[in-house]
Amino acid sequence: MLEMRGIEKSFGAVRANRGIDVSIPAGRIVGLLGENGSGKTTLMNVLFGMVRADAGTITFDGRPLVHHTPHDAIAAGIGMIHQHFMLVPAMTVAENVMLGWEDAGAWLRHDAVAQRIAETSTAYGLDLDPHAVVGALSLGAQQRVEIVKALLRGARLLVLDEPTSNLSPPEVARLLPVLRKLRAEGRSVVFISHKLQEVLDLCDEVIVLRDGAVAGACPVAGATRETLATMMVGRELPPPLARVETTPGREVLIVSDLRALDDAGVERLHGVSFSVRAGEVFALAGVDGNGQAELADVIGGLREAMHGSISIDGDDVTHATVTRRLRAGLAHVPADRATTGLVSAMTIAENLALRESDAPPFRRGPWLDLAATRALADERIAAYGVRAEGGDALVATLSGGNQQKVILARELGRRPALLLAAQPTRGLDPGATRFVIDQVLALRAEGAAVLYISTELEEVMAVADRIGVMFGGRLVGVVSRDDADLTTLGLMMAGAA
Amino acid sequence: MTATITRGLTGVGAALAIAALLVLSSGKNPLVAYEALAQGAFGSPDRIAVALNKVAPYLLTALGVALCFRARVINIGGEGQIALGGLGAAWVALTIPAAPPVVLVVLSALAGAVAGAMWAGLAALIRLTRGVHEVLVTLLLNFVGVLLVAEALHGDLGEPGAGFPQSPLLERGAWLPKLVKGTDLHVGIVIAIVAVFVVHRVLWHTPFGFRLRVRGASEKAAAYAGIDMHRSFMGVMLISGALAGLAGAIDVLGVHYRLIEGFSSGFGFTAVSIALIGGLSPLGVLPAALFFGFLETGALAMQRAVGVPSPLVSVIQGLTMVFVLAAIALGGARRRV
Repeated sequence: MLEMRGIEKSFGAVRANRGIDVSIPAGRIVGLLGENGSGKTTLMNVLFGMVRADAGTITFDGRPLVHHTPHDAIAAGIGMIHQHFMLVPAMTVAENVMLGWEDAGAWLRHDAVAQRIAETSTAYGLDLDPHAVVGALSLGAQQRVEIVKALLRGARLLVLDEPTSNLSPPEVARLLPVLRKLRAEGRSVVFISHKLQEVLDLCDEVIVLRDGAVAGACPVAGATRETLATMMVGRELPPPLARVETTPGREVLIVSDLRALDDAGVERLHGVSFSVRAGEVFALAGVDGNGQAELADVIGGLREAMHGSISIDGDDVTHATVTRRLRAGLAHVPADRATTGLVSAMTIAENLALRESDAPPFRRGPWLDLAATRALADERIAAYGVRAEGGDALVATLSGGNQQKVILARELGRRPALLLAAQPTRGLDPGATRFVIDQVLALRAEGAAVLYISTELEEVMAVADRIGVMFGGRLVGVVSRDDADLTTLGLMMAGAA
Repeated sequence: MTATITRGLTGVGAALAIAALLVLSSGKNPLVAYEALAQGAFGSPDRIAVALNKVAPYLLTALGVALCFRARVINIGGEGQIALGGLGAAWVALTIPAAPPVVLVVLSALAGAVAGAMWAGLAALIRLTRGVHEVLVTLLLNFVGVLLVAEALHGDLGEPGAGFPQSPLLERGAWLPKLVKGTDLHVGIVIAIVAVFVVHRVLWHTPFGFRLRVRGASEKAAAYAGIDMHRSFMGVMLISGALAGLAGAIDVLGVHYRLIEGFSSGFGFTAVSIALIGGLSPLGVLPAALFFGFLETGALAMQRAVGVPSPLVSVIQGLTMVFVLAAIALGGARRRV
């Protein structure tokens, strides 16, 4: 169905795609695996006409696609569903489907379109109300809106970029049959993912990219997690850091009966209490949107607590400024790396100074000590293995994993008593994920307390001493790692235990 | 920095080229027109003095605007802050005319800065306590500021029997000293250039400047960095207002020697253009302000000599801005803040 031959694309000095050959047969689900920066997104953007390849040819259904635009790609029968949905939240499902679609008519045919959405929704089990406002839908339902959009536009090849990264397990479970049904009709699906297990469960074939080239392609039958992971990173992942036995010490973080509102003013946190001891990792599992984000913000000082208290090492910081929390020993790795944790248009050195520009070594007298900051940056870049030209490199030029290393270098470099890590591995490739986990465990071994918030159960199992599960703004259960099993945790996350 | 200069020069070149076509289409020779423009701007020491005197208030006001915009505080109240600065300076100079000359001029200039800062501070206060966006507040306070000057001139500060809303001539002791004997060139340009380097230093070498840049880049990152958003807002507005107020004071004490109704007209918005063309960088604002000052000074000479209407200069300014901003937008994705 699709042949891409010799695709080359460079951005400046970076060769994102270096001669990629890919072929997608009809009626197959093909997994596209690769670390961040391996060229997956670039390849798909070339296919969809969002960037123009430097060299190479694309043939879709026997017809060449040359200098095409996304509009041409859609007309040819290619549908693309981005990781961040291209929907207008204030509009209804039907309006979103009509947006930019010629078949909607010059005078919009609301009812006809709504009718077709309803039919498609029933046929594929998408469960969509054409008149629902998109902003009020769950992320899973929004994704199904994107699928309907693509199907009604006649997509015979559907590209899904990290389709499961924002979904809860039940929503994922609902997406997969839809994709299988598409396959049964003879359509093809390109499934871009980091999650090996999903690829193994769903796909017929898998193509692995590494450093802008195809590292391997094989049928899924016979492939294992290990073989795929090895292809992706091109090396054996080192065995996990041995967990040092620690005896949990004093209670470093004590959170009691915390309540908070979300941005829209709705109470999202309904009285959460727990404590984290020195030398222990307390992990909070849960599907996104169950209050973890608000909890992290309140502890980090980015959101006002409506009720309850927080203390760090005996110091009541419930209403303290961010800076005072930092002095009390808090290190904070926020979930939103690019615009909260970092200023991407600033240098690595400046980002290291971000939260302490008023204190040594970043400040000397009334001035910023640029020399000392740069020296510290060079030292941290080496210590944390940040792949960058130097301390003066802009953070925006770094990959996601290296950006996270900059945050870790800043936060852990302070020798904190308490680390608050919110979704610290989101969007990172396995190598970078591994690095983050190793750093967290090393901090634990040094006797710090760690509150680790993640939606990835396996990760939670790997790092935690105790695991708490958040559901509906409450802490619905706490188990020690030795007693935890995935089934029970999964049930708790779904609010069923 | 080099990128800013390249952008500026390209923008100026392209704007001059297009304006030349306009001149050509009206049947005049653009080379002759530009020569007259240059003569009017650089032809004699007097012309240069006039131009530099024009540059000083532009530069000071544009510095404040650049600082605000960097912090993503959209202060377009330069006009009103200049007006209040002039008013403050004239009021002090007329209130204590008997003070020793040096004291008088220094106090008057300081009064201008304080008045400008208070006017900007008022806007900031309304923004922070009432939640009205600063674009609206600063814009509307421009009208109020200009009218306050008129009100004062029609009242106590006016010159009796002048027939024009202006204050009496200020005591000589309140006049800004001349830089070059025998010309009109006063020390304002020196003050403005010193301010360029001070603001540059503050922006890039102090924790305060760092906080402003972080604030401007991402509000979320600023909150995470522990930056007090209200305090930094007030801080940058006060500095910006003080610079604009000083600009107003310099114009009153150095050029007119009196407060005149409408003396600040157009300055505030020209300063915004200059700040943008200068890439919101203090060092970039310097050449941009020089360009505007000399261009405007040469404009009337061009009109007299060749008959090309002086508003052509506004066309050149506008086109330069379009080109420079387009270049910034095109190359902006990886810009450092």
